[in-house]
Amino acid sequence: MLLDPGMDLTLRPMRYPDFYERYRAAIRNTWTVEEVDLNSDLADLAKMTDQERHLINRLVAFFATGDSIVANNLVLNLYQHVNAPEARLYLSRQLFEEAVHVQFYLTLLDTYLPDHDERVKAFAAVEHIPSIRDKAEFCFRWIDSLGGLDRLETSQDRRAFLLNLICFAACIEGLFFYGAFAYVYWFRSRGLLGGLATGTNWVFRDESMHMEFAFSVVDTVRAEEPGLFDDELAAQVVRMMEEAVAAELAFAADLCGDGLPGMGVEAMRGYLEYVADQRLARLGMPARYGTANPFAFMELQDVQELANFFERRVSAYQVAVEGNVTFDEDF
Amino acid sequence: MTQTMAEAAIGTAGEAAGDAAIDAAGDAVTGTADDAAGGAVTGTAAGAVPGAGAGPDTRRLAIEEAAARVITDPENSRTAAGLLDGLIADETAEHGVRTFSESVAATHAAGLVADRLAEFVAANAAELDALVREETRFEYFGLRTVYDRYLLRHPETRKVLERPQHFFLRVACGLSETVAEAGELYGLMTTLSYLPSSPTLFNSGARRPQLSSCFLLDSPRDELEAIYERYAQVARLSKYAGGIGIAWTRVRSRGSLIRGTNGHSNGIVPWLRTLDSSVAAVNQGGRRKGAACVYLETWHADVEEFLELRDNTGEDARRTHNLNLANWVPDEFMRRVEADEEWSLFDPKDVPHLTDLYGAAFDAAYRAAEEAGLAVRRIPARTLYGRMMRTLAQTGNGWMTFKDAANRTSNQTARPENVIHLSNLCTEILEVTSDAETAVCNLGSVNLAAHLAGDGVDWERLRRTVRTAVRFLDRTIDLGFYPTPEAEAANRRWRPIGLGVMGLADVFFALRLPFDSPEALELSTRIAEEIALAAYGTSADLAAERGRHPSYGETRAADGVLHPDHYGDGHSNGRSGGHGASRSAARSPEWAALRERIAETGLRNSLLIAIAPTATIASIAGCYECIEPQVSNVFKRETLSGEFLQVNRYLVRDLQARGLWNERIRDAIKRADGSVQDIPEIPADLKVLYRTAWELPQKALIDLAAARTPYVDQAQSLNLFMATPTIGKLSSMYAYAWKSGLKTTYYLRSRPATRIAQTTVAAAPGAPAPAAVADPEAVACSLENPEVCDACQ
Repeated sequence: MLLDPGMDLTLRPMRYPDFYERYRAAIRNTWTVEEVDLNSDLADLAKMTDQERHLINRLVAFFATGDSIVANNLVLNLYQHVNAPEARLYLSRQLFEEAVHVQFYLTLLDTYLPDHDERVKAFAAVEHIPSIRDKAEFCFRWIDSLGGLDRLETSQDRRAFLLNLICFAACIEGLFFYGAFAYVYWFRSRGLLGGLATGTNWVFRDESMHMEFAFSVVDTVRAEEPGLFDDELAAQVVRMMEEAVAAELAFAADLCGDGLPGMGVEAMRGYLEYVADQRLARLGMPARYGTANPFAFMELQDVQELANFFERRVSAYQVAVEGNVTFDEDF
Repeated sequence: MTQTMAEAAIGTAGEAAGDAAIDAAGDAVTGTADDAAGGAVTGTAAGAVPGAGAGPDTRRLAIEEAAARVITDPENSRTAAGLLDGLIADETAEHGVRTFSESVAATHAAGLVADRLAEFVAANAAELDALVREETRFEYFGLRTVYDRYLLRHPETRKVLERPQHFFLRVACGLSETVAEAGELYGLMTTLSYLPSSPTLFNSGARRPQLSSCFLLDSPRDELEAIYERYAQVARLSKYAGGIGIAWTRVRSRGSLIRGTNGHSNGIVPWLRTLDSSVAAVNQGGRRKGAACVYLETWHADVEEFLELRDNTGEDARRTHNLNLANWVPDEFMRRVEADEEWSLFDPKDVPHLTDLYGAAFDAAYRAAEEAGLAVRRIPARTLYGRMMRTLAQTGNGWMTFKDAANRTSNQTARPENVIHLSNLCTEILEVTSDAETAVCNLGSVNLAAHLAGDGVDWERLRRTVRTAVRFLDRTIDLGFYPTPEAEAANRRWRPIGLGVMGLADVFFALRLPFDSPEALELSTRIAEEIALAAYGTSADLAAERGRHPSYGETRAADGVLHPDHYGDGHSNGRSGGHGASRSAARSPEWAALRERIAETGLRNSLLIAIAPTATIASIAGCYECIEPQVSNVFKRETLSGEFLQVNRYLVRDLQARGLWNERIRDAIKRADGSVQDIPEIPADLKVLYRTAWELPQKALIDLAAARTPYVDQAQSLNLFMATPTIGKLSSMYAYAWKSGLKTTYYLRSRPATRIAQTTVAAAPGAPAPAAVADPEAVACSLENPEVCDACQ
């Protein structure tokens, strides 16, 4: 079974081909930080209000450390306990993607904050800014929740691991990041910070896949060991989700203050609750909030892009292509 | 042209463009009853009904909210446009601008428009002001584009100084000598029947009216000074908002000996890096980023490195992220690919004559160079072709354009010294270039969607539009400001124009013709033929009135050969296996009459037709781009002014009529990435009609393009679409395109291998765990269609 302790190395016969295909699909979507053009963002930053600038600086400060935290949990917990070589292939790829995200946000921060001291302060936000520190502490607590467990022997061990996995998928990548992306797309809906939005599109695409991978690990474990999913586990997931929503709302209060046109704490609350319900639904659980999505601009995220190539680089191309020259295929 | 005629033109155009029940500013946004999640505008700061009393921020927000609800009901787009129109009117009023003449006075006072325009408008103020139509036909996205980018703004306050209708009339006046002329062009623009290309929209009436869309520069000679001189030319042309095509075939390849220093060349890549930086540095008039496409002939020894310039892997010092790339492919190469033979790569220093030859002369010279042992390297032709296909799949770039087809049929290449060396940034322009001549083209496009009447095309009105458009495109040649003497020299001698179309997909939807139906092929070809006939006729009239273009004697037309004559019955391009190349018998008397007339009058323009991509002007007109199928029934458009949602309003109308347009169907379409194919409730006839570019056979797109080729004396920006490209499919497709006689192709569009999780579509319930062993085909399929293919997920 997937969570049985050990270091399985056998790829044939392949037990979990779905994980392997996810790994291959991820490779086809390789992007690099050099492809993102942040130039036009600088002009936008220059014309922003103090309130908007505060929001964006805080947001960048969160981004600065967010992906590193996810990478740490991947190395410390996920890679060790998900015992299938094809799943570990995917996780290795995910680790690379987290590194690209870290590099992207580093570049972003260096570009947005030309002042050396400001940059140092932004990275230190995880220690000094309460709204960011609280979110980080929530993450650290869950990283440590396995207590250095080497082997998942008992059902209790495995439930603890599932909670860790669900936390990082549903609460951190699936809620904290989704919250952060919403600010970016709010700016973009007003024609601002197109460079950040482009990079975010690609980060968002990666994060979506990470989350879906984690959920498919959960699905697999559930199919293999249905007994692990009891009411207590479900109740813990809901509590965890509530905590995450509360932490993200405190962050929103810090970012938005009394609110900006089209963006404020109350709207953000609706959005986060809506997203949280989606995560619970994906886990086969009932909605906790029943809130509707208030952000119309997030609709844009769900449909195909048709970039006018004069304006932006099109992000829709694939990296690995296969086959040989022939003249008789259908097209 | 009399005043009465101009008015008549406005009248008829106005009626035909269709439904114009535009909600007045302040109306509530349309929502449907089943929108539990707030179909009407609610939430955030838009609780208050937007109206005259609301502050600008609230009104802006109401506009954005309405625009964001376009997917619920496309009518919201008109509502948002109406609101925005009101906002713009208030903004111009802050500078005291209410009428057209006031707007021109204000922009003149701000130093934005030429004295000539200001004087013309002042002298005819009352007449011109009376031409302005208050009603707006814009969709929101179109108006927003006009507002963000086209309206003239006060240099300090950055407030707009003209309303959208003033802008259209200003552009028309900038190209006109009389009020009647201005009225005629304005009538076409305000009904969105015809739009000149962006540079003309930006600069008509300006102090330095650079009106041309694209510039084509020959390859620099193989010398340091010539290369740097080209960079300077590119920068000057780019500054005034022109797209650049530039060949690089004459520059020596890597490892070539440099006599002056006894060192070896690093090849073309370092030069193209410099070009890349230069293009990125010169912002087009502060309005959009510079853009250029580099053309390289397939025998150049650096072609493989050239194909890697856009990769996002490998050494960044050998990458050019801003340049577009195109292959300038000789037939000899394609023949060797077909026959699976070897292909020789040369250093241009050893074969400087090759790029100035085409057809049989090129074939002979190429083989002679091989026999003389001049090749740097030989590789299997299919290996190189496979690499080209891979570049297309990975980057969408590395466009396939065909040197021999381009030259063989061009009106400009009657004399051996006149050779086409490249196409342009969008692969629709084919004009001769040399060191002394930089080819230029002025573009404009007819909106076919605005020329429908009843259940067909209003042919007479289409011809009228074409005649007016050609006259004004010809006018831009004389009025334009040219950033370099080489561009001016070429344009005055050849006087080429590029009249194109947009909204073909709208026509097919409105007339319920599937893109790949024989009826669509016939109609599309007839449209192209009618446009060509009217355009050539007008150019002959202009030649009679104002004289033929100075280089007329060097053209094939002077020898009695018109473009369609290159396409005999059942043959395209002299090769068998072509499609739709046969000329219509129905209109052959008209062609005969035209040929006789041209023998007498000559032509005012060496080239007349080019189908440009129309990215921005199709947005303004609210129609589908040029000759393209729709890419999705629901898609977003990213531009400098943010992102906008677009929904296929023909589909919505059909679904509404059948009581099927509701939240559940909308979600299903979004979940399927804009496809309607797997939604059980949607009837079969609509599924066939509303296929997307990804679902249509690409063969149909190529056949449509090939069939109209005889009537397109330059070329067409033909994008091809393949969701999951493979080398096998691509190599088959491009070989077919070549055999069909296409002169050029444009982007290969493909789709991302992974995608963003949808946030606003209800989550699919917990998917079952993966089966322990799965059929690899099935796995691949579920990954391509994660939402559609539940069976094997």
